[in-house]
Amino acid sequence: MILTGDEIQHELKAKRIVISPFAQESIEPNSYGFRLDSNLICYDNKVIDACEKPIEHHYQITKTGFCLKLGHFYLGSTLETMGSDFYAATLHARRSVSTMGMWIQFSAPLGHTGAKIPWTLEIMVAHPIIVYPGMLIGKIAFWQPLGDCIRYKGKYTASTDVVASRLSQELYSKQGGF
Amino acid sequence: MILTGPEIIESCLKGKIVIEPLIEEQVNPNSYNFRLGHTFRIYDQFPLNPKVQNSYTEFEIPTEGYVLKPNCLYLASTVEVMGSTEYAPTFAARSSVARLGLFINLSASLGDIGYIGQWTLQLFTIHPLRVYPGMKIGQIMWWKPKGKIKQYAGKYQGSQGPQSTLIYKDYEKKE
Repeated sequence: MILTGDEIQHELKAKRIVISPFAQESIEPNSYGFRLDSNLICYDNKVIDACEKPIEHHYQITKTGFCLKLGHFYLGSTLETMGSDFYAATLHARRSVSTMGMWIQFSAPLGHTGAKIPWTLEIMVAHPIIVYPGMLIGKIAFWQPLGDCIRYKGKYTASTDVVASRLSQELYSKQGGF
Repeated sequence: MILTGPEIIESCLKGKIVIEPLIEEQVNPNSYNFRLGHTFRIYDQFPLNPKVQNSYTEFEIPTEGYVLKPNCLYLASTVEVMGSTEYAPTFAARSSVARLGLFINLSASLGDIGYIGQWTLQLFTIHPLRVYPGMKIGQIMWWKPKGKIKQYAGKYQGSQGPQSTLIYKDYEKKE
């Protein structure tokens, strides 16, 4: 079951959902509208290797805007710290953003129960698009789970901003396979 | 309602969910991590036509990994046979994989109740990316449905390895 906007607000007051900073006007019928923070990461590798830490290039989205280019992959972050110890979350683009030709969180939309962080967004565009810091970019939905909850304790637990992939920390041996 | 990790394991033990092989460490708070198989398939004649069986090439990827090229669709499969006769599945990349700029499905994240088989993944990368057979690439989630269940009996039932589209069979039926 998906939580309604009213229920999100209720659970926020009951401290069972975290959204910080919170803006009343961003409550939607069954989600909460979140904003884009100002830091972006691109990778500089010619070939990214799933076993190696990618080479990060950091960009700042300034008030005059930052133009996202076609064929590039960007990681951004939500401005808000969001999550819940009681509900699972999914993140989506807002219609106003996807109708401009932008994907956010296109490949991994699930937010685990227990993760209360600014969410790293996977971003790509269908044509050049300018983005601005603090723009409303997506929406988070909360879902009632079935069964005993365990809380996320993964490698992004302490995130405070956009975080590049940490897949290489899983210490796979190239020779030994997975 | 989305199943929690402990509920996924419990449902496997009760036979309500199939995940084979089941490795408990691969369970997350709300999903189960699945691995990438070693067989890839690419279409080799374009444009693709939904009314005919499209030609493809299949190959094995080595343990040293394989570099995916941008703008090329690779069909791969999960190592695991997965499905459920009681819950609806959705699947996605793992966050660490998505953060490398890889799609593992192209707007088709919803599966059917009753489908049990290996899942065909649609790998599409933004930058050249080296991937490895057996890497934990994605996660499957399970949702409790409302209403009477009718089990999947479609053309992909029991799939093994990557399967290309069988949409041409829909045209065969009509003609």
